[in-house]
Amino acid sequence: MLHGTAASEGIGIGKVMLIEEHSLEYTPRTVTDTEAESQRFKAAVDAFCYNTEKQAENLRSSAGEKEAEILAGHIQIIRDPYLSGEIEKLIADGQCAESALEHMCDMFIAMFSAADDELTKQRAADVRDIKSGVLGILLGVNEVKVSDAPKGTVLVAKELTPSVTAGIVKENIAGIITETGGTTSHSAILARALEIPAVLSVEGVASSLKNGDTVVVDGSEGAVIVNPDDNTVAEYSKKRDAFLAERKELENYRGRETKSASGEAYELFCNIGKPEDAVKAVDADGEGVGLFRTEFLFMDRTSIPTEDEQFEAYKKAALILKGKSLIIRTLDIGGDKDIPYLGLEKEENPFMGFRAIRYCLKNRELFKSQIKAILRASAFGDIKIMFPLITTMDELREGKKLVAECKADLRNMGINFNENIQVGVMVETASAAVIADMLAKEADFFSIGTNDLTGYTMACDRGNNDVSYLYSPLQPSVLRMIKRTIECGVQNGISVGMCGEAAANKLMIPLLISFGLTEFSVSAPSVLNVRKIISTWTKEEADKVTAKVLEMSTQQEIVEYLKSVV
Amino acid sequence: MVSKELVLTNAQGFHMRPASVFATAMGKYSCDVTIKFNGNQYNAKSLLNIIAACIKCGSEIEVICDGADENEALAEAVQLIESGLGE
Repeated sequence: MLHGTAASEGIGIGKVMLIEEHSLEYTPRTVTDTEAESQRFKAAVDAFCYNTEKQAENLRSSAGEKEAEILAGHIQIIRDPYLSGEIEKLIADGQCAESALEHMCDMFIAMFSAADDELTKQRAADVRDIKSGVLGILLGVNEVKVSDAPKGTVLVAKELTPSVTAGIVKENIAGIITETGGTTSHSAILARALEIPAVLSVEGVASSLKNGDTVVVDGSEGAVIVNPDDNTVAEYSKKRDAFLAERKELENYRGRETKSASGEAYELFCNIGKPEDAVKAVDADGEGVGLFRTEFLFMDRTSIPTEDEQFEAYKKAALILKGKSLIIRTLDIGGDKDIPYLGLEKEENPFMGFRAIRYCLKNRELFKSQIKAILRASAFGDIKIMFPLITTMDELREGKKLVAECKADLRNMGINFNENIQVGVMVETASAAVIADMLAKEADFFSIGTNDLTGYTMACDRGNNDVSYLYSPLQPSVLRMIKRTIECGVQNGISVGMCGEAAANKLMIPLLISFGLTEFSVSAPSVLNVRKIISTWTKEEADKVTAKVLEMSTQQEIVEYLKSVV
Repeated sequence: MVSKELVLTNAQGFHMRPASVFATAMGKYSCDVTIKFNGNQYNAKSLLNIIAACIKCGSEIEVICDGADENEALAEAVQLIESGLGE
């Protein structure tokens, strides 16, 4: 079995079609009939534009307007008067069309690749694709006709260029495997838009597979099985059918409001760890982001990220979300998440120790640079700030004081930000849940982090097999913590969300509806399923079930009862 | 020659779409259209040149038009940038 990045969910079984890269090598010539050479170049550009326009049309109907626009952009680039003007000049000086084209394209590729922002860098890939396309026409090299692929084809390539993917006929392509690309690459986005299972970044796959090999592409797990036996094929066919049936059913919930059967409306957000994950949240039909973990910005590097670097990351997520809510959690470091360059000392008991808001309040410069970065980004979207691991009122007040100081600094510098930015508390300690009545008077919102809240309430490490049986948000004590937190929030008129795993748990959802939760924040793949589950409950039914659950004294009893009613 | 200093206000800055809207619009005029940014000059009829300039939201730029229909070109350039370049 080969492994790669699970880039587009689902299972595909089919025969390999290798997309080989043709050699685009040529020997540069000096031309004497420059007029004829110029005509040859113009004809190649016309042919390129004609093909691209056709591909864009094909893509528009199969994958949608957004995907087609990338190809339409290719036409605009090759028709750029500056680019074609300079190429014509080089040809007039006696260069052949191939080398004139290559010279100018390479110049822009180098320029775009060197840019410090991601969007401009992506344009380098477009110019590269255009260069190969036009060179291929000039040299008379034909690309593999993906559009002619028979039903049940699995495309295998080093890298899928937009012009190749544009030829895809959705019904005929069972899966996609490539050697490069991650979950946010163009191939991945396109595969998801076309709902074709895809596994990317599988090392050496283009040279190890042969045309006609049978493969299973498991885009949910990121696995590829080459020449599977009959049992394996049967097993995966079953999985595929189940997946397709479920997807079809859940698709009915896309684009709908999140409402209970009795009409109460809820917000349904996603949890993300990187700015580019916001794309997945939007693709998954999430209505915003309820938890943006910021630790990634500080990891895998040797120094603290600057305020500007952080600002760019937060702004990026805000722009992708286009005005939808974005709750940014300030640095949650310590516990099990170490960052070597911060020089945190080894602790006997890190989960009870120097972490999250405790660390930040002692390292004010670091904390203030993060707060300022978030504030600056708040000019570009609906951003809220959330403090992790609050246990006392002092911590919330101190944090809010720093936010006020940062606002004053930015105001003095004339920098834009949202003056009314909300500051909320992540309720994930027993202490915060117990003083939720007080916290709710000074916080703008709550979000319940059930993973830590369960661990701290039960005094239990879920990674320890001897005690993990205690770890459940359906323990009566944890349920009472959650109930209290939500009720205190509701009484004080602030919104209460949940960003822990429990928010997507079907046994938990009726209880959360009854307690009065207003926002569910879940992983992107869970969005439609949670919307579906919420829609099956009326408030009255949920209240009845919850009243019974609250009378029960053991977790086992609660789980058995809930399983019998959901 | 006419010119005007402006601040780019569309959230994405001069990226693919806004740059393409701008370059296409300027391409209709016979005069030269130049964007001055950070001390450098860029051909505003060229989508690639505009993208290469990496002009982000909030940047100050100067649009310079030079030629027979310079007034009309500048008026449209200003209108496009102030209205957020179709974003």
